[in-house]
Amino acid sequence: MSLLLDRISKSFSGVPVLRQVSLTVAPGEVLGIAGENGAGKSTLMNILGGVFAPDTGGMMLEDRVYAPRDPSEAAARGVSFVHQELNLFPNLTIAENLFLTDFPRRQVLGLPLIDRRAAAQNARRLLDAVELPLSPDTPVERLSQGERQLVEVAKALHRDARIVIFDEPTTSLTANESARLFGIIERLQARGAAVIYISHALADVRRLASRILILRDGEVAATGPAAEFTEERMISSMVGRPIGQLYPKRRPLPSDAAPLLEACGLTHRDVLEDVTFTLHAGEVLGIAGLMGSGRSECARILFGLDPCDHGQILLSGAPIQRLSPRERIRRGLAFLTENRRDDGLLMPAGVLANLALVEPRSGGLESVAARVGVRCANLDRQPVRQLSGGNQQKVALGKWLVSPPRVLLLDEPTRGIDVGARAEIYRIIAALAETGVGILLISSEIEELTGMCDRILVMRRGEIAGSIARPDFDREHILRVAL
Amino acid sequence: MRNNIAWIVLAAVMLAGCGDKTAGTSAGTIGVAFETLQTEYWVASRDGIAAELKKRNLNMLEAIADGDANRQFEQVRNFITRRVDGIIVVPKDAQTVVPMIREANRAGIPIVLFNRPPAKSDARSVTVVADNFSITKDTVAYLADQALKAPGKRQAAILIGDLGDINAIARRDGFEEALKPHAGRIEIVSRIPTEWNQEKALAGITNALQAHPSIDLIFVSSDLLLPSVVSALKSRGRYLKVGEPSHVVLGGFDGDATAYRMLTEGYLDATGVQDVGFDTAATVQAVVDLKAGKTVPETLLDPGFVIHRGNLAQVAPRMWGAGVRK
Amino acid sequence: MRGLLTSRYLVAVLAAACFAVCAPLIPGMATSGNLSNLVWNMLPLAVVTIGEVFVLIAGGIDLSVTAIIALCSVTGALVMNGRTGYLAGNPAAAPVAVLFMLLVGALLGFLNGCAVTRLRMPAFIVTLTTMMFFGGFAVWLTRSANIDALPPAFNGLAGFGTLTVAVVVALAAHRTLRHSIFGRWLYATGMNARASLVSGVPVHAVTIAAYSVSGLLAAAASVLYTARLETGSPVLGQRIFLDVIAAAVIGGTSLFGGRGTVAGTLAGVLFVALLDNSLNLLGVSFFLVFTAKGVVILVAALLDSAAQRVLGEAVE
Repeated sequence: MSLLLDRISKSFSGVPVLRQVSLTVAPGEVLGIAGENGAGKSTLMNILGGVFAPDTGGMMLEDRVYAPRDPSEAAARGVSFVHQELNLFPNLTIAENLFLTDFPRRQVLGLPLIDRRAAAQNARRLLDAVELPLSPDTPVERLSQGERQLVEVAKALHRDARIVIFDEPTTSLTANESARLFGIIERLQARGAAVIYISHALADVRRLASRILILRDGEVAATGPAAEFTEERMISSMVGRPIGQLYPKRRPLPSDAAPLLEACGLTHRDVLEDVTFTLHAGEVLGIAGLMGSGRSECARILFGLDPCDHGQILLSGAPIQRLSPRERIRRGLAFLTENRRDDGLLMPAGVLANLALVEPRSGGLESVAARVGVRCANLDRQPVRQLSGGNQQKVALGKWLVSPPRVLLLDEPTRGIDVGARAEIYRIIAALAETGVGILLISSEIEELTGMCDRILVMRRGEIAGSIARPDFDREHILRVAL
Repeated sequence: MRNNIAWIVLAAVMLAGCGDKTAGTSAGTIGVAFETLQTEYWVASRDGIAAELKKRNLNMLEAIADGDANRQFEQVRNFITRRVDGIIVVPKDAQTVVPMIREANRAGIPIVLFNRPPAKSDARSVTVVADNFSITKDTVAYLADQALKAPGKRQAAILIGDLGDINAIARRDGFEEALKPHAGRIEIVSRIPTEWNQEKALAGITNALQAHPSIDLIFVSSDLLLPSVVSALKSRGRYLKVGEPSHVVLGGFDGDATAYRMLTEGYLDATGVQDVGFDTAATVQAVVDLKAGKTVPETLLDPGFVIHRGNLAQVAPRMWGAGVRK
Repeated sequence: MRGLLTSRYLVAVLAAACFAVCAPLIPGMATSGNLSNLVWNMLPLAVVTIGEVFVLIAGGIDLSVTAIIALCSVTGALVMNGRTGYLAGNPAAAPVAVLFMLLVGALLGFLNGCAVTRLRMPAFIVTLTTMMFFGGFAVWLTRSANIDALPPAFNGLAGFGTLTVAVVVALAAHRTLRHSIFGRWLYATGMNARASLVSGVPVHAVTIAAYSVSGLLAAAASVLYTARLETGSPVLGQRIFLDVIAAAVIGGTSLFGGRGTVAGTLAGVLFVALLDNSLNLLGVSFFLVFTAKGVVILVAALLDSAAQRVLGEAVE
C-alpha cells in the first residue's frame, strides 16, 4: 500500500472540518476525490502536505509512519503537489522554477556552485516528460496558463515522487493540454506512482480514476471502484440529496417584452467592434465566446468601468454612457464581476457588511442572505474569506439584490463553485427574470448558456459573430461560431 | 505565544533594572534633559554633568528629546511630577523652553539652562553659556593674522549653523566682527547655511569652492562640520598642512576630537573651545546653589579659549575633544 | 490565553500590564500628578493619530501629518503673534487664528487626497513629496525662526481646552467610523478599492475625505502643541511620525487598510505615552531608551499580528 490514512479528524476554532476520514491508495492507482467546496478536500490535502497536523488519526506512507512536520518534509518523503493556484515565479525561467530549492551543484575549488549544464539537461528531460517543447531558459511570464500548469506538473515529477496529488489541474487547460495531462498521469501510473486526482470536472474524475471517494461535510460520503459511479450518483453523494433539475424550467419570453438595455455600435479600439444588441425585460441573454473575445470587456463598458470610443448605451431609452458606475447603479444597473476575490467582495468583512456595500442605507440584509441561501457560522462576524466559493458567490450576487436591479450583468457567475451552489444561483437568476429583470449572462460553459438563456450572442475578436435563439441552441454550432 | 508574554515581562524587568539603584542614599535627584546626544560635544557635556553630580552624591535622571521640543516639554513635566530637586535643560531652542521654565517656577524647582539662553520672558532661570561671540571673534582674529601673512587680497567663507540657534548667530556675528578691521584685504565671498547638517555643509562648501576657487580662509561654526569641509577640500586637492603653499587657513569652534586630531597633524589652524569642564561644573553648582536658596546671576559666561598651533601643548588638557577616545 | 490574545482590547490589557509592572518599581509613577501628566501627554498625539487612522483604514498612508502640524503652527503664529502678526493685539486674534489653522490643515489634507487620487501614484510617494513641500514651506515662511509672543487666550488652550478637543475628536471619530455611511465606505475602500468602485462606492471622494480629515486633525493637534509651547515652530512635531504610526499599528490598525478603531487607537497612544513616561521616570540611560522603545513596540506588534493569525485561521 502506498498511502494509508486512518480515521483523520481535524477542526478549526472548534468547527470540525474532517471527521474520521480513512482512505488508501495503492501503487499505480488513481484515486479520484470529489466533493463540494467546503467538504474538506483542501484541509485533507493540507494535512497530507504537512501544512496542518491532524487532531486525531494517523497516516502511513509505504509502510512507515508518515507525520510530516512541514511541507519540505512531505516533499522529502516523495509527496508531490500540482496545485490549483500556480506557485511559479513569473520572472524566473522554467529551469530556475523547477530547481528552486535544489539546484544541481558541482564543486569548484571546494565551493558549491550551481551546475547550469546539469540543470539544463534535467530540465530538458522533465519538459520532454510533460511534452512541453520549450527551452528551459524561457521566462515563465511568457508562457500561457496551460503551459504554466504543465511546468507545475514537471516540477512535481522532478523529485521522483511516490505520491502525486493533482488539485483541480484542468481549470486553466485547453482540451488539448488536458489530454496531454491525462497521458502524463497514465505514465505516472505505469511507473508505479500513486495518484490522487481532485476535481469538480466529474467526467474527468470518472475517466481517470480507478477508485472514487466522495467527501461531504468532512466525512466520506461514498467510496468504491470507479465503475460503480455514474455522474448522477457522484452528484447526489456530494450534495446529499438528488439534485434533480440543475437548470430551472423557464417560461418562453413573451414577444411583447419591452427593450430594457440597448447597446448601439459600441466600439473601442482593439477591444470591441460595433457591438449592437437589445436586452428585454425578463430576458436572459447569453454571451458566449473564448477568453479575449471581448465578452468581459463588453460588460465592463456597459457598466462604465472601462472607456469606450464610440457608441451609445440606452437604459429604458435614456442614454447612460456618460454616467459613472455609481450613477448607473442608481438607475438600476448591477454587475457581478468575473473575479469575486479581486473586485467582488470585501474578503476580511462579514456577510452583512458585504451585502450593505451597494445600498448602505437599506435594512433587511438578513432576509437577503436567506434569500440567496448563504450558509455561514455568523453573518456579522465571520469574514467571507472563510466561506466556500459558492457561498462567497452568493454574497457577491446578494449585494445587488438588496434593492432589486432592472438589469443584471453576470460575468461567469458559477466559476469554480460546486454543483449545489450552482443550482441555487440558477434558481435565483430564473426567479429574477420572472419578475422582469433583464439579465446578461456571460459564460464559458456552453451547457450553462443553453440551460439558462432565451437567446445567445456569440462573440469573436470583439465582434458579435452570431445570435442564436433558444430553439436553435446547439453546442457544436455555438463553438464553430466562437472559433 | 507564551514566549511573547515572557519576552514582555523580561523586557519590563530589564528596564526596571536599568533604573537608579542608588535611590535613597543620595543627597537628591536632578533631572537632566538633553535635546540630542547626536554629537560628541553633547556626549562629553552629559558625561561631565554626570561626573559633577556624582561628586556631590546627587542622582541623575536623564531624558533625551531627540530634537522634539514637545517631547522635551513632556520630559520636563515628568521631572516636575517626580519632584526632582533641580532641573538641567539643554533646550531645543530659545522660545519653546520658556513654558518649561514657567512650569518649573510654578513648582518651585530650580532650573538651569545649559549652553542655550532662553528668549526674553518673565520666567526665571539661570543659563550657563559659552561666550560664543568673543570666543569666535578671537579665533577668527587669529585666522585672519595667519591668512594675511601672505601678500595680496584674501577671500574668506563661513559655514553658518541653524539660524534658529542663538549660538549659531553669535558665532556668525563674531566672525563678521573679527574681519571688519581687515575689510580692505579680506573679502567674505560665501556665507553657507548648514542648519547643523553635514550633508548640507558638504554641498554648500563644494559649491562655494566651485564659484570661488581661490578661497583662502574658511571658518566652520562647529567642528561637527569639519569632515564635510575636509572632503570638499580634498576633492579639489587643497587639503594641505599649515605652511604648505596654497594651504587654506581653517578654523572651527567647539574643540572636538576631530579638531584635536587635525590640530596635532597640522591641518587645522585654530579652533574656539568651549570649556566643558567649566560649563558642567558651573551648571551643577548653580543648581545646588539655587536649591540652597542662594542668588545666582542670570547668565554665567564661559570665557572659553582659542587653541592653535602655538599653544597646543599647554592648553590641550583643558580641551574636551582631546580626552575623547577615537 | 487564547481568549486574552484574541481580545480586541489586547493593547489596553498590555498597557495595563506594563503599568502594573512599572508602578511599584518607579517612585512617582502611580501618583495622580503623573497620571494626569500621562493623559495630558497623550491627548495631542491621540488627535493626530486618529486622523492618520482614517487614512490608514482607507488603505492609504499620510506621511505629511507632521509637516502639516509644522505649517499650521507657523501660519497660525504668523496671523496672531503680538509683534508682527496680521491680527496683533486684536481680541479676535486667537479664535480667528485657530479657525485659520484648521482651515489650512483641512486644505492641505484635501490637496493630499486630490494628488493621491488624480496622480494614481502610491500614497507613500505622494505624501512623502508633500511632506517635504509643506515642511520646506514652513521653514521658508519663517526663515527657520520660531515665532513667540502668542496671545495668552491662545496659550490658554493648552489646559482644559486640550482635554475638550481630544474628547470631542475621539467621540466624533468613533461615531463616524462606526455609524456613518462614510465610515462604512472608508473600511470598504481600504479592504478592496476595486470591489468598492464596482459596487458604487465613491472611492475617490472617500479617499479625498480621509486625507482631509487627517489634515484637519493634524491642524487640531498643531493648535494644542503650539499652545503648550507658546511658540509657532517650523519644525514642530517633526519627530513624532514614528510615534503616530506605532500607536496606530499597536492599536490594531492595519497598514494594508480596512482595519482600525478609535478605541484601539486610544489604547495604542496610551501605550506609547506610557512607554515614554516610564522610560523617562526610570532614568534609563539615553543610549538605551530608543532600543528599549523599539523592542517594546516590536513585541506589541508581534503579539498583535499573532492575535490576528489566531483570529484569521482559515476554516477551509
